[in-house]
Amino acid sequence: MTDAETKKALETEESQEILPLILEIMPGHAAEGLIDIYEPGSYEGRTLRKLCERTLSKKKWSIEEQLIIEDITRQLQGGKLLCSGHEIEGTALEYAVTEQTEAGEKYLYVPIRAIKPQEGGIWQ
Amino acid sequence: MLQLVQSDLELVVKSGFLYLPLLYDPDIAREIQYKPPPGGSTERLIEVAGKHFIKSVSIQSILTNMEEIDNDYYGQLQRECLRKFPMSPTLEGISTDSKLMTLLLKVMPYFVRKNKGFARKRLHDEELLDFLGDRIDIPQSFREQADKYLDSKPLLQRLNDLERLEQKVEALHDGLISVEILGRWLHKSLEVQIVDKEIARLKKRLRDRELLTEAQRNHFCTLMYIAEKGALEIDGFGFYRLGSGDDYLVYKRTGEYILKDYYARSYLFPDCRVGVPTMRPFKPMVLEPYKHPFLQGYTSRQEICMKEFKPPDEFTADNIIRLLEEGINALLYGYDARRRNGYHSLDPTRHYIKTIEFEDYRINSDELHEV
Repeated sequence: MTDAETKKALETEESQEILPLILEIMPGHAAEGLIDIYEPGSYEGRTLRKLCERTLSKKKWSIEEQLIIEDITRQLQGGKLLCSGHEIEGTALEYAVTEQTEAGEKYLYVPIRAIKPQEGGIWQ
Repeated sequence: MLQLVQSDLELVVKSGFLYLPLLYDPDIAREIQYKPPPGGSTERLIEVAGKHFIKSVSIQSILTNMEEIDNDYYGQLQRECLRKFPMSPTLEGISTDSKLMTLLLKVMPYFVRKNKGFARKRLHDEELLDFLGDRIDIPQSFREQADKYLDSKPLLQRLNDLERLEQKVEALHDGLISVEILGRWLHKSLEVQIVDKEIARLKKRLRDRELLTEAQRNHFCTLMYIAEKGALEIDGFGFYRLGSGDDYLVYKRTGEYILKDYYARSYLFPDCRVGVPTMRPFKPMVLEPYKHPFLQGYTSRQEICMKEFKPPDEFTADNIIRLLEEGINALLYGYDARRRNGYHSLDPTRHYIKTIEFEDYRINSDELHEV
């Protein structure tokens, strides 16, 4: 993904194409998160929150991925799911950017962070 | 034991055991009358020059366990003894239990993207070192320098110097001995023991070095380069050494972010580095001169004001990760525009004291869309 070309999906012609959706939920400020792939037809009409809940409730994960889920769960105890700095609301397409693999296959990508907010302002 | 050695008592050495003078009072005198026959294996009481002595500890066990008996004394003796044969500080800096290794192998992997594509594999230490080697540019001159370390000559030299000492201590003869002489003998014997241990350690290290593969040599070179440089930054995560020891300031860049004021106007904050030291006090701070509602002034290394924050007591990878995240979260998500929590308010209020202003960070809706 680092070399991939990114464009805001809604502003491009690709949004009209049928592309798979890659959802990545990252715990805190971790660089890598839990990856879930939604095939075309399986994500349209669902809210991004619903997709995240579905991803986190799946049982198919490897040991490495289960550790990431534990991290995400820890952050979500009093925390929130954020995308582009905002709490997620609406559909995945509103947040998706188009990227492509090294092999040139296009997909929609939505990075989400599970953040446990730290309130500031009261000195101890 | 040391208190005993510092006294002016006279002791007895017999069959590798130390015998201490027996206090003499009527009760003990009665007990002595029932002593077992001399020469028996349970001979606990002996008489030398008209005085009675009672069996105490094995001299060899004192030597073997001195490191546990008196760690400070042993450590001091070890430093004095090996001072003549110093090791390279760089090599010591990359020992497996150093803070540098914790930062590289436990903290950094959390903040840096390591996998290509959608795989989410947890990398082993060797794979992480490969990854690091690919991400940093090590000068050729340094590779040559690392090769010199790996050619084993310095270790061999140190080994030869130690072996040349060929220290030997004669065993103690049975009989009376003053505490002063016993103390000198123990000191010398411990020196010999320390040198022997160091020789054994070096021999093992040389054997290990001969078995190094090409990949391990590259890992060593990478670690040595980072240890020597004392600083690293990859994908917004980094650290730099504090002083000359094994302590660092670890940081993570926030990137640009937007906060909103009471009237929902946007303020674009520049990137900054939220850092935490690897020693007490473990408190998140912003490294560069920076202004924010949770920072008191506009200088460098200001602690971030956080609600119900309790700094941890010890350095661990998990604590450092948590502290960096808490610091970043406070800056990015901790400001409440309605309550205007913090030292400063983004929008000037009636009771506002003009100390820090954020007007220059204000952006309009067109600029907001560009961000």
